[in-house]
Amino acid sequence: MRNFILIIRKYNFFILFLLLQGLCIYLLVQNTTYQKEKVISTSNEFVGKVYTGYSDVADYLKLGITNKALSEENARLRKADSASFYDNSFRVIRVNDSLFKQQYEYITARVINNSVSRINNYITLDKGSLQGIQPDMGVISSNGVVGVVKDVSPHFSTVVSLLHSGFKVSSVIKKNGYFGSTVWNGTSPRFANVLDIPIHAKISIGDTIVTSTYSGIFPRGIMIGKIHQIGTAGESFKEIKMLLSTDFQNISYVYVLRNIMKAERDTLEAKLEAIK
Amino acid sequence: MIGDIVLNFFRFFLLIFIQVLVLNQIELGGAINGYLNPYLYILFILMLPVNINKSLLLFICFLTGLSVDLFSGTSGMHASACLFIGLIRPSFLNLIAPREGYETTLRLNMQGMGASTFLVYASVLVLIHHLILFLIESFSFLNFFDLLLHVLTCSITTLILIVLSQILTQKNREAIS
Repeated sequence: MRNFILIIRKYNFFILFLLLQGLCIYLLVQNTTYQKEKVISTSNEFVGKVYTGYSDVADYLKLGITNKALSEENARLRKADSASFYDNSFRVIRVNDSLFKQQYEYITARVINNSVSRINNYITLDKGSLQGIQPDMGVISSNGVVGVVKDVSPHFSTVVSLLHSGFKVSSVIKKNGYFGSTVWNGTSPRFANVLDIPIHAKISIGDTIVTSTYSGIFPRGIMIGKIHQIGTAGESFKEIKMLLSTDFQNISYVYVLRNIMKAERDTLEAKLEAIK
Repeated sequence: MIGDIVLNFFRFFLLIFIQVLVLNQIELGGAINGYLNPYLYILFILMLPVNINKSLLLFICFLTGLSVDLFSGTSGMHASACLFIGLIRPSFLNLIAPREGYETTLRLNMQGMGASTFLVYASVLVLIHHLILFLIESFSFLNFFDLLLHVLTCSITTLILIVLSQILTQKNREAIS
C-alpha cells in the first residue's frame, strides 16, 4: 500500500495526464456514436448564441448572393405555379385527392455556422427541437442535399454535412435507376464519389445523381450532383467522381425534411432486425 | 503575480475569440482547401509562465482545448492534442534551457527567449499539436502522405501567425516603455 502511494506521488503528473486524456477519449467516442446524449456539442445554447451574433453580421455581407439564389428559386417556383399555365382543358375534373398523402414536411432554417475545410465538417442551424427538428432528419438546400441532423437543442441543431468522412447517402442514377452510395472524398468541397455502381451500368459524364428512398431520410429525387469523371474500381464497380450541386461554401438557408411516416417505417423494419 | 493572471486571462479570451470567430471561419476552397488552417490559440499555452505548476498546466491545456472543441463541434479532439503539449512542454523547456536555468521572471515570448530559441520551442510544440490533432481527426480517412502534408502546411501557417503576433506585440511594448 505504501509503495502504491509512493508511485502515485512520483507519477502524479503523468497519472493526471492519463486521466484527462481518458476523459478526452470518452468525449471523442461519445461524439462519434450518433445520437447520444452528450456533455458538449455545438448545439449547446451558449455557443449557438455566439454563432447567431456572428452570422447576423456574416449574413449581411452575403445578402447579395443570397438574394440572387432566392430570386432564382422564386422564378423557378413561379414557373411551376399553376397561375403561370394557360388552362387548356375545357372540362374541369375535380379530384378529391385521397391518392396522395403528404409524407415530407419542410422546415426552413438559417445556417449560422458552417465549415468545409476540415475532414469532418458540421453545420449549425438556428432552429431546434422547439420548431420540430429531430435527430436523423435530412437537410437540403435549394440546390440539393446538404446533410443529416445530428443533435438538437431547444433552439439550435447541428448537421453532419455531406462533407464528413462518415457521411453516406444512398443515391440513384436518375437516368437508369442504378443505385450506389455517395461519400465525400475528403479533399475538395465541390466533389464527392459515388460507390457501388456496377461496371455494366451505362452512364456518361453529366448524368444526374439523385437521392433514393432507401434511407427514408430524403424523399426520392433530391439532386445530389452531376457525374464529372468515370473510372473503374476493382473488377465489378465503377469509380465515379461527382460535382456536387450544393455549393457548400455558400449556403445560408436550408430546408429540414420531416418524414411523417418515418416512425411507421422504422417499426416495420425493426421487426426484420429482431428476426436476425 | 496578479498582473500575470489577468494578462493570461485576457490572452486566453482574445486568442479563443480570434480562433473561433476569425480563423475557424476561413474557408479557402479550391486546391488548397484544408491545407492552411491555422490553430493560433495554442500560443496561449506556449506563453504560460515558465514556472507554472505542472498539474495546473495540464488542467489549463485541457480547458483551452475544450473551449475550442465546444465551438468547433469536435468534443475532445483539441483537448486531447492540447494535453499532449501540456505533457511535453515542461520537459522540452528543460531540454532547451540555458546552462544556468530559467529566471522565474522570464517571459516565454520572442523578446524574452530570443528569436531562434522561441522559434524552435514554438515549432516543435506546434508540430506535435497538429500531428496529434490531425491523427485524431482523420484516423484512417486520409492516407499517410496526405496527413503529413496537412500537418506540415497547417503548422507553417500557424507558425507564421505566431511570429507575426509576436512582432506586433513586441513593438507595442517598446512604445510603452
